[in-house]
Amino acid sequence: MTDGDYDYLIKLLALGDSGVGKTTFLYRYTDNKFNPKFITTVGIDFREKRVVYTASNPNGTTTGKTFKVHLQLWDTAGQERFRSLTTAFFRDAMGFLLMFDLTSQQSFLNVRNWMSQLQANAYCENPDIVLVGNKADLADQREVQEKQAKELADKYGIPYFETSAATGAEVDKAVITLLDLVMKRMEQCVDKPPAEPANGNGATKLGDAQPNEKKCAC
Amino acid sequence: MPQSPDMINLGFLSDSERELILEVLRRDEELRQAEEQRVCWMSKRKGAKRGSGRYSQRSCGRCLEPLSRLSVFSSQCTTCNHYVCSKCRTVLPNGSWVCSVCAKESDLKKMTGDWFYDQRVNRFSTMPGHNLVRVSLKKKSPLKKRETMGEVLLRSTEINSDLPAPVPRPRQKIQTDNKGFVLILHISFRSSRKEDEEEEEDIDSLVSFHKRTMASSSSSLHSKSTMGSLMSIYSEAGDFDSVEVSGDIVFSLNYDEHTQSLQVFIKECQGLAFGDASRQLTNPYVKCYLLPDKSRQSKRKTTIKRNTINPVYKETLKYSISRSQLLTRSILISVWHHGRLSRNAFLGEVEIALDCRDLDTAYEDRMLALTDILLSNSFAQYKGELVISLKYITPKNVTTEKIKGKKAVTEEGGELHVLIKEAKNLMAMKPGGMSDSFVKGYLFPTKAKNTKRKTPVMKKNLNPHYDHTFVFKELSLEQLRGMCLELTVWDREAMLSNEFLGGIRLSSGKGTVKIGKEEVEKDSVGEEVSLWEKMMQYPDSWAEGTLPLRSTMGKAKAK
Ligand SMILES: Nc1nc2c(ncn2[C@@H]2O[C@H](COP(=O)(O)OP(=O)(O)OP(=O)(O)O)[C@@H](O)[C@H]2O)c(=O)[nH]1
Ligand SMILES: [Mg+2]
Ligand SMILES: [Zn+2]
Ligand SMILES: [Zn+2]
Repeated sequence: MTDGDYDYLIKLLALGDSGVGKTTFLYRYTDNKFNPKFITTVGIDFREKRVVYTASNPNGTTTGKTFKVHLQLWDTAGQERFRSLTTAFFRDAMGFLLMFDLTSQQSFLNVRNWMSQLQANAYCENPDIVLVGNKADLADQREVQEKQAKELADKYGIPYFETSAATGAEVDKAVITLLDLVMKRMEQCVDKPPAEPANGNGATKLGDAQPNEKKCAC
Repeated sequence: MPQSPDMINLGFLSDSERELILEVLRRDEELRQAEEQRVCWMSKRKGAKRGSGRYSQRSCGRCLEPLSRLSVFSSQCTTCNHYVCSKCRTVLPNGSWVCSVCAKESDLKKMTGDWFYDQRVNRFSTMPGHNLVRVSLKKKSPLKKRETMGEVLLRSTEINSDLPAPVPRPRQKIQTDNKGFVLILHISFRSSRKEDEEEEEDIDSLVSFHKRTMASSSSSLHSKSTMGSLMSIYSEAGDFDSVEVSGDIVFSLNYDEHTQSLQVFIKECQGLAFGDASRQLTNPYVKCYLLPDKSRQSKRKTTIKRNTINPVYKETLKYSISRSQLLTRSILISVWHHGRLSRNAFLGEVEIALDCRDLDTAYEDRMLALTDILLSNSFAQYKGELVISLKYITPKNVTTEKIKGKKAVTEEGGELHVLIKEAKNLMAMKPGGMSDSFVKGYLFPTKAKNTKRKTPVMKKNLNPHYDHTFVFKELSLEQLRGMCLELTVWDREAMLSNEFLGGIRLSSGKGTVKIGKEEVEKDSVGEEVSLWEKMMQYPDSWAEGTLPLRSTMGKAKAK
């Protein structure tokens, strides 16, 4: 099924507590379908999607150049008992969808922990991350306010989206934003001298979760 | 701290869970194999790389067209420092430009995902639990930069109970492209100065790059196109514009009976040179090999310290090895500057034979100057032999040319012919106990052009017959007397840097020779000297010899 006819293989990974909707979210993204049944993920899984990426200039205007990107979207199990296995896969991903459930305060509180897991296990200490509050359609059950989540995302310097795998709202946008960050990082890695940290504009830093350790050696 | 994956204990999985995960990993493997193929295919089209930019400011480093005087100031590629003409530039999205070859290189880095793997290597390769996933490291290690967790797990018995024991997979083989352009072959001038997967040098593809645009005769291929790139070999080899090797390294060696391992404790370095002279910057790291093993398995690295000439590491590099084996080994500790786009620079090295060390009185720091290159055991390790013949061909027609009114430059018209006959008992570098070898030759001091020669690759043979002649033209006997011929044997490794198999250095053995910008002792000994002398003594006849291969080509700087 995977012919080699693409320009970039980009590997993203979804993480977050069990039941926040990682599997359902990715299924929506790749197949544009919704599965209301909860089948907890065993360990690790992945889905694939081919997208066309349009490169943009630093100032946001498009260069008109398009690339075929093959996305490998890793889906990790949120359950604690798979933790050692799932965190081991963090090192192979170029960008992360950190998800929580807008109807579960606890899943939001755990974002911090996931963040430090990422910091410890990803390919570098400040990888590209997008924070995703899922199940936005369940407005009456909402436990996490947008403002709260936005503040946390700002603190980490990462983008935040409220999505619904049920309706499909913002799902594509969250993934494409992450892809864009990864592609920009890639450009910086090959074009910039190492003296400048990978994120010139401080787009994604792991905030105060980390002491002044060395920067990602890009 | 990143966890080492060998802590993963999958014993808790039920059979059906294991089966599910295994299925995922197999799907991943399919994708990965498609990706590997794609990467291989792309790498064949790889462009060439850096250069020092010092060879000439008056012609384009890429197409060799002359540059106008005025444009010289604004025509330097910021990445490789070559001076290039406006036709050989690629404009980046941010408005700046790099030369066409650098642009190609960074495209490749992006498309192969190397940008990512290079970063990851920086983070994980120096972790203490480096022999992580034991299963994975034993084989296929040359590609371990790109190794993924899925791959590792799939090959581990822990998850894949179908595997009775880890089965080594053959290394990826890449067929020679017979459409006429040279595959990526990596230049590594001096074994001890050689960088590896993170830092590949790619002069041959520069050659191939030009081959397509330039005249097709093979001599022009050598003469013109390698000029710029030759210089980069020297920068690779430690000849930097203004970088003098300096400073000391403080370390200790200790053998731990308990774990049966040699522990190299790198404490710190003092007073290092600037690896990036123009920016007065050094990002030093220390690298270790347990010689004679120069392969990646033997490589250990410390972390990279940023912007300091007095880095403190306090890191322990470990080798699992039995005590008795240590006696035949030596440890090579080198210091490198981690430059941008992994343009690493050599900052110095020391080599310590382990036989004479009392490793029991360990923990005591030793301090050695980085300029102490110990050459004593260049021949310590049997690396096989090289059978060659040399002939100096005296110039003819000296007088006829004068008649034509030309100046009497024909005095220099002699030629040195070097017949590379065969090698014997080479080291096996590939699975199945084989090597794909070739011989490379340089004549120092290099004239402006035309000094690098190479034989074709002889596949799967530890006693290869090359029967290939290198011809060096325009030489007088008098010139030859002061020169030095270096022949090195390499195991060809597509996609990765070639592995050094051994070398010889022919010269009078007296005095110094200029290699790059360094004055280096002519350290030829024994038959390396006698064969050279014989060649000069009997011009126009073959002088044949069988010479033992050196295990390192380290050079001693003239004092
Ligand atoms: N209403 C609504 N339900 C959702 C949404 N996203 C997921 N769900 C439901 O939430 C439940 C859990 O979703 P999963 O995708 O299986 O959760 P997960 O994060 O993959 O969980 P683990 O695999 O255990 O880590 C399922 O019943 C989904 O149908 C959403 O946006 N809206
Ligand atoms: Mg799931
Ligand atoms: Zn040009
Ligand atoms: Zn360049």
